[in-house]
Amino acid sequence: MKDPRRLSQILVLMFCIGLLVNGCTSSANSRYFGKTVAPKDNILRYVSGSEPETLDPHISSGQPEARIYMAIYEGLVEYGPKDMQPIPAIAKSWEISSNVDEFVFHLRDNAKWSDGTPITANDFVYSFRRGFAADTLSSSTELGFFIKYAEAFNGGQVFVKKGDTFLLAKDFSSEEQKPSTGIGPETDFHKFVQSPIRLTLDGDEKKRAKQIDADPKLKAAVAGAEFVPVKAEDIGVEAIDIYTLRVTLRQPAPFFIGLLAHQFFRLVPKQAIDKWGKEWTRKEHIVTCGAFRIKEIRPYDALTLEKDPNYWDAANVHLDGIAFYPVEDNATILNLYKGGSVDAFLNHTVLTSWIEQVRAFKDEYMNFPENSTAYYSMNVTRPPFNDPKVRKAFAMAVDNDALSNFRKITKPLYDLTPTGIFPDYDKARAKVSEEIRKERNIAPDVWAKYGKFDAERARKTLTEAGFPVQKSGDGWVCPTFPTDKVSLMFNTNENNRSIAEFVQAQWRQNLGITVPLKSQEFKTFLKDRHEVQYDGLAQSLWSGDYMDPYTFVGLHYGYPNNGDAGFNDPKYNKMLDDANAELDPAKRYEMLARAEFYLMEQQPSIPLTINATNWMKKPYVKGMYPNPGTLLPWKFVYIEQDPAKWDKDVDNVMTESDPQVEKQLQELTATQKTAK
Amino acid sequence: MLSFIIRRLLIIIPMALLVVTLTWGLVRIAPGNFYSAEKKLPPAVEANIRKKYGLDKPWYTQYGMMMSNIVRGDFGDSLKYQGQSVNEIIRRHLPYSAVIGLLGYLLALAIGLTAGTVAALKQNSGFDYGSMSLAMLGLSVPNFVLGPILVLIFSFWLYLLPPGRWGGFSGIVLPVITLSAIYAAYIARLTRAGMLEVMRSDYIRTARAKGLDEKTVLLRHAIRGGLIPVLSFTGPALAALLAGTVVVEKVFAIPGLGNIFIQAVLNRDEPLILGVVAFLSILIMIFNLIVDIAYGFLDPRIRYE
Repeated sequence: MKDPRRLSQILVLMFCIGLLVNGCTSSANSRYFGKTVAPKDNILRYVSGSEPETLDPHISSGQPEARIYMAIYEGLVEYGPKDMQPIPAIAKSWEISSNVDEFVFHLRDNAKWSDGTPITANDFVYSFRRGFAADTLSSSTELGFFIKYAEAFNGGQVFVKKGDTFLLAKDFSSEEQKPSTGIGPETDFHKFVQSPIRLTLDGDEKKRAKQIDADPKLKAAVAGAEFVPVKAEDIGVEAIDIYTLRVTLRQPAPFFIGLLAHQFFRLVPKQAIDKWGKEWTRKEHIVTCGAFRIKEIRPYDALTLEKDPNYWDAANVHLDGIAFYPVEDNATILNLYKGGSVDAFLNHTVLTSWIEQVRAFKDEYMNFPENSTAYYSMNVTRPPFNDPKVRKAFAMAVDNDALSNFRKITKPLYDLTPTGIFPDYDKARAKVSEEIRKERNIAPDVWAKYGKFDAERARKTLTEAGFPVQKSGDGWVCPTFPTDKVSLMFNTNENNRSIAEFVQAQWRQNLGITVPLKSQEFKTFLKDRHEVQYDGLAQSLWSGDYMDPYTFVGLHYGYPNNGDAGFNDPKYNKMLDDANAELDPAKRYEMLARAEFYLMEQQPSIPLTINATNWMKKPYVKGMYPNPGTLLPWKFVYIEQDPAKWDKDVDNVMTESDPQVEKQLQELTATQKTAK
Repeated sequence: MLSFIIRRLLIIIPMALLVVTLTWGLVRIAPGNFYSAEKKLPPAVEANIRKKYGLDKPWYTQYGMMMSNIVRGDFGDSLKYQGQSVNEIIRRHLPYSAVIGLLGYLLALAIGLTAGTVAALKQNSGFDYGSMSLAMLGLSVPNFVLGPILVLIFSFWLYLLPPGRWGGFSGIVLPVITLSAIYAAYIARLTRAGMLEVMRSDYIRTARAKGLDEKTVLLRHAIRGGLIPVLSFTGPALAALLAGTVVVEKVFAIPGLGNIFIQAVLNRDEPLILGVVAFLSILIMIFNLIVDIAYGFLDPRIRYE
């Protein structure tokens, strides 16, 4: 130790080690993750994901936009903060017809736009009509097609008028229509909208001619008829008086109220749109109706909102403002959070490599079930996956439990619909499953394994399908299986690749088949999958649009559908139609469960995981919950300045009591008895 | 000289149009559409969108419409970000990239020129080996590694600077350093090589023989010649820097043009892609022209015909 140079080297080394150790311990030892200081100005800083496409809620169907729209626009109802069940918003109460196909909403008389103009039922009529207008180019219209004639209006279709009467749909269709039960006062419009559904044909002359030529009965009927375009005024939305709105559906839809909190059904300002056209969303023109209004727009940097004093419930809005930061890079988001520059961030953002470290901060890391599933669609239109046996074999050869352990935060999925999101539906499924077991006379222990991972049965089933699986050394081989004709397609992303490699290994191990992996850029991948132009299997993710199992069970309904497997089965379609026509909710769930069971026997997809929420919020952010869609009603959110009241060792934030939130929720739902 | 500049300026226009045409072709070949998303659109909605944007017309009509607008300097509206014109988006986001790029390059110049010149003058000294090893390191460490390391040290260990986002001087320190590292390294090496070559050339020997002192030799004669390699590097580098550096903008969440461009490609936002490409190509050609003109001032042997 006499050499001074050696001493200085050792000192430098010790300094470096000290720096490293300090860096590690400062995060591991402290209660919270990184810098934790509540913002003094009472403005929440939230990373909202990609830059919002537009501030027009009719146009964008995106998730990053959805959370922004929830702050600046309101509709008839709002998502409940914990369970996403509809709670009153501009509608203070509503009535539902006995057939669940007509709704009367009673609006508040104190709701105002940010420019001070009162909000009336006519605003809703305008908004609904604009949403469905073809030139609005909304990508969410499908959600509202349950409204009578909305689909026909959106698609530019025509009624067929012969003399003084219109041709009716029931005369050209085998489907029976249940007579509708109207509610509310009788008006001319109500008489029209309650009359039997009119026949609608394509608005395009050429396409219509084709349609007519294909059906001799139709051809005879339309001879000499006049074609009348379906107009905005024809769709089933009516302002009975300035504070009463009536919505009429073409068929019963028990989940319709839940749908109405979606961005597509939020109010847009006629006064601004008429005046400014497509430029109405600019800062200087925009008029909003939510708890917050626009303060500043700095694209790709920040969208700053401030509390709107004109909002009808302004007294119960706790934040003074929200700053939405559009940041997309997951590592950057986490850096900002750890550095204390943001208070919370959007879902699906904590990188897998960080999860182990971050999940230790239980008060901040939000890991809860989500109404979102991951699965592999199989192209049922091409061999070898056109054979249900091959599809079953591949499904049974995947160990979903092992996959979820590997993924760390997800739960295994065995059907189309995730478990744990719709408790009543889970009960219905269990009941139906037991009924089917008894019908088939299968022992309970055998039945428990049905549809789950079973390598032995997978090999047997594949062998039965004409691809014999043989023992080879320690493993298996399936020499006749055409691996050159199949691939597992996914969009380029590290997580997707790791899942694909995991599942590929399972098939290799259990079936002796190595399915080639095919990674594609997102838009390229989407095109191939949507058009069912892939060989074998394609990765799919589905997030429920509303809180009803139909949002999952209906994936393979009709054609084309969102299942992207090329699957179309009239029997399945009918089962779903029948279920939705059922008015008793419990019975309806059982019918849906039977349909789902029937579908999973056809196995158009391989269920993989029930996704989980994966985001963080600082312990001082309260009233913000990891609900199944991470859709956050902002007026419940508040910043707790007193560190003594911050979240500490909260076991389950969803069941933890917060008197302020509970009182607020209770007051809001008091006007509508059926709202939870 | 003037005719040289005019000729070069005139070439820029057809070149830019050619670049736009090729880009348009590439965007069209790429599968997928600006409106495609995880959830499929109903056919009627898709038909409405295609009609509105003229995608139902034959390709040559679409090309003709696009070109006639571009020739008039109108790139139209972004397809993804409704109601925002491409010109407006470029104008809005260029300054972010330009500030960081310019500061980054100035820092790189300051460090690189000093280190390179000193290293050349003291060839084979400890400083030479030290600075050139550092430069090698600077060249080899990509900025997506350097950025996070700086964030770790300055944001998480020392809590001195924010880990990202635009805003104030403290917000741009880390991105500017990250950006400048690789350029500083490159410039240092270029300067060193250029200076070494010049210092051994005949005209420097002549200058010394005339009895000029070493300082005048260096500043009046050597440095001009030694800077030529740096200059030819500066044109394209500066154009690229001003137009945005994707990685640094991503790492530090800076709303610059590079970020916008990548998003535009991923979104298949055709007008925005074409706008940025045209802008970039013109920028690069102009910078190259400026560099070519500057050669004449630095090196008396270069003449413009």
